[in-house]
Amino acid sequence: MCDASTKDLGRCLCVITGASKGFGRSLAQQMPCVLQTGSVMLLVARTARLLQELKAELDTHVLLVHCVEADLGTAEGVNKTVEVAKKENVNDFDHVLLINNAGSLGAISQFSSFTDLAEVNAYISFNISSALALTAGLLQAFPQRPGLRRTVVNMSSVLAHQPLPLWVLYSTAKAARDMMFKVLAKEEPNVKVLNYSPGPVDTEMQREIFQQTGVSRELLPCQKPGAKLLKLLLDSDFCSGTHLDFLDL
Amino acid sequence: MWLKFLLNENKMHVQSDLQHHASSSDLGRALCIITGASRGFGRTVAKELSLRVKPGSAFVLVARSESELQTLRAELAESDAGRAGLEVRYVATDLGLTEGLEKVTKAVQEAASELIEHVLLVNNAGKSPVFTEMAEVNSYLSFNVSSVLCLTARILQAFPQRPGLRRTIVNISSLCALKPFPSWVLYCAGKAARDMIFKVLAEEQPDLRVLSYAPGPLDTDMQLEARSKSGDATLRKSFNEMFTRGQLVSCEESCNKLTKLLMEDSYTSGAHIDFYDI
Repeated sequence: MCDASTKDLGRCLCVITGASKGFGRSLAQQMPCVLQTGSVMLLVARTARLLQELKAELDTHVLLVHCVEADLGTAEGVNKTVEVAKKENVNDFDHVLLINNAGSLGAISQFSSFTDLAEVNAYISFNISSALALTAGLLQAFPQRPGLRRTVVNMSSVLAHQPLPLWVLYSTAKAARDMMFKVLAKEEPNVKVLNYSPGPVDTEMQREIFQQTGVSRELLPCQKPGAKLLKLLLDSDFCSGTHLDFLDL
Repeated sequence: MWLKFLLNENKMHVQSDLQHHASSSDLGRALCIITGASRGFGRTVAKELSLRVKPGSAFVLVARSESELQTLRAELAESDAGRAGLEVRYVATDLGLTEGLEKVTKAVQEAASELIEHVLLVNNAGKSPVFTEMAEVNSYLSFNVSSVLCLTARILQAFPQRPGLRRTIVNISSLCALKPFPSWVLYCAGKAARDMIFKVLAEEQPDLRVLSYAPGPLDTDMQLEARSKSGDATLRKSFNEMFTRGQLVSCEESCNKLTKLLMEDSYTSGAHIDFYDI
């Protein structure tokens, strides 16, 4: 199943949020191929059953897989995830890798429909705040030390930079996230940060988009942009804080 | 797809149709809503705009501090504009809370009249963040991002497009919307988010005039906090140097440029324009 390759991401503590479905799930399936024995993968999502099913599929003689059932839109969910990660002994790893993949579409609708502060706040909490709090929490839990690489990925979108009518919620969150991770890259030169747009991948989110907008488009299988992301992480020669789009690569 | 239709040339035609409304001598009989009006740039905007509106105009000033709003209202009442009949209301409230948005919406609806030919919303209120916990981050984003989206949406619902009505939405932005600064993650993220909110709005509603204005490094309380409390020592040093060298921009000077932009009314809707660009 795995390509014979000498490159890998080391003895890695890898956290993938939104791992139960879509791109996160696909990434979780591809990740073991590039992790050294002794690595630990934390899969985070709201639905324990889906995570357990995913864990059962994975080749776990190479690495340990923990399922973390958490609603990252809440402080409790973020804190729980950090606590589970902290149980690992930092000295067991030479690489900490966080994939901030969890996200939601929100309502795709007219600007003037967004009058409900609670609805907007809930969206922002899950799509902006949680990525910030989780990243900060994990970097605090695993501070820099010689021999430890730390990498943070933000699942981004072309809409982080391109305003599209009706997409104010999603675009705003993606724009905020890209900026957050650019600041992180500036602040922490020893953390490798990547804003990655996978392109239009074949997931439930795309089906939701079709339901809400009636627009359908040609979709990519998750594996392709997933494999590309892994290659970028393995080569690790991108500029920290950069935004890369699968469709441009 | 009619949306795609709006995104290209037709947008240009719609905008040029609207430009004949713009007069370079004043902003018309305007209903101006200014958030963060109690201090700093917002206070200056309120005073400056009062000089640029026709009699029959109404202002709604929003901030958290009641006493400062009262003082400002009294000053405006004493001014020439006040004597000419400028109506000024204030709402002392926290825009990061739903009750705050509701109070403001209500005050705006009460201030409105058939005479109004221009609705002008200035989203100026902002806070310097202190963060680590999710609750603090959420509170910061609620005030600086969500409330801006929701207040603007409510104002647009209250004042839908109609012939003879200009509608202008201003977002007080920052260089931080475009450029990352160490130790300023929340402020930069919030400003980047706001710029995007207003870019989408401009794309969606070509009949609206939308401007993200970055006022430059202003000599205000927010700047004082930045000089003394920024987490990054290099940044603190450069803020202090700007202060001691007199490189900070006065609110009046910056507001003059904003007012000029609004009166000339020739900016591209959704654009980000910086004090130093003009």
